[in-house]
Amino acid sequence: MKDNHNYWNPLIAGFLLGTALFISFMIAGQGMGASGAFARLTAQVTYLYDATFATNAYVAPYLRDGNALANWTVIQVVGIFIGGFISAAMAGRIKQGIDRGDGYPIYKRLFWAFLGGLLIAAATRLARGCTSGQALDGAATFSVGAWIFMLAAFGAGFLMAPLFKKQWKM
Amino acid sequence: MYPLYTTGAITTNENYLYAIFIGIMFGFILERAGFGRAKHIAPVFYFKDLRVSRVMVSAILTGAFWITLASYNGWIDFNQVFIPATYVWPYLVGGAIFGLGMVMSGWCPGTAVVGLAKGKIDAAVFLFGVLAGMYVYFDLFDSYESIANFANSGYIGKFTIDKLIGGDIYTSFIVTVLMGIGLAIFMHTMKSIRDKKEGEN
Repeated sequence: MKDNHNYWNPLIAGFLLGTALFISFMIAGQGMGASGAFARLTAQVTYLYDATFATNAYVAPYLRDGNALANWTVIQVVGIFIGGFISAAMAGRIKQGIDRGDGYPIYKRLFWAFLGGLLIAAATRLARGCTSGQALDGAATFSVGAWIFMLAAFGAGFLMAPLFKKQWKM
Repeated sequence: MYPLYTTGAITTNENYLYAIFIGIMFGFILERAGFGRAKHIAPVFYFKDLRVSRVMVSAILTGAFWITLASYNGWIDFNQVFIPATYVWPYLVGGAIFGLGMVMSGWCPGTAVVGLAKGKIDAAVFLFGVLAGMYVYFDLFDSYESIANFANSGYIGKFTIDKLIGGDIYTSFIVTVLMGIGLAIFMHTMKSIRDKKEGEN
């Protein structure tokens, strides 16, 4: 399961990520985002199957201009995919697989991945963003809310971690 | 004057074009940081590998430093930068659910996009969960007024550190640095306690 290639030193990666964040603020006036793109994708896809969805109280503002996907964050997430692909391809790290502790059942691992995604989706709607759009962007622009979110997320993560020890073989 | 888009120097379409390149930059850096694998993310919750917290603290302090410097030099109009409004209670509860979801899945939405690009099946399944979760939330939000009410509770607007404790952007920057150092010290202390325990076993 080990990668063959070295990753960047975390402090250097962080320095570059913070600098990229700043470039994004200088150009677009906003930083990295991810969860908003998935909210919009869900809204758009559901709307294509069921036009009455446009009256849903949460998604109505997304669909006001006709297409929920005509949005900066959505386009930027496509970029994240391309950038991640380029980096992994250059380092020879594109490899199909499932990360889990040795001997942990695959169906259980995928069940937790799915349930985690389900919970995180709702969490990002309550918190108006995720690790990128709320924690990183917010903390870099001095928002108190970003720290409330981050401390709550890490606190809950530490508390709940023992439940998933086997999955990660810690 | 910056930001280019919010001050009207570039059009929406130009901004969208730049968004692709900005995203590529983010995706490339996230992958190089090791965030394209759940195996590199989950260990932070066991204080085993501090990659996640190190990158985050380093990125926050770097971003905050550039913004403070740019604001000092008058390059950027900080009022034109998007800062999410703070809703105290939903941020606390949302944050806690997020943390649970993260240790459960080993992913967050941004890193999972990189994981997907690398061929990680758990990232793909996680993202299906995210899409399903969005649908469920939209439906509940529309059906139950209590959810919408809770989601909008504790609203204090754009609330930066200097609004909480007084001062200006420089005060905010200093407090952010202290918070970052505090978080780093906490993580390192917990890691050395853990390493010591592991050594005894």
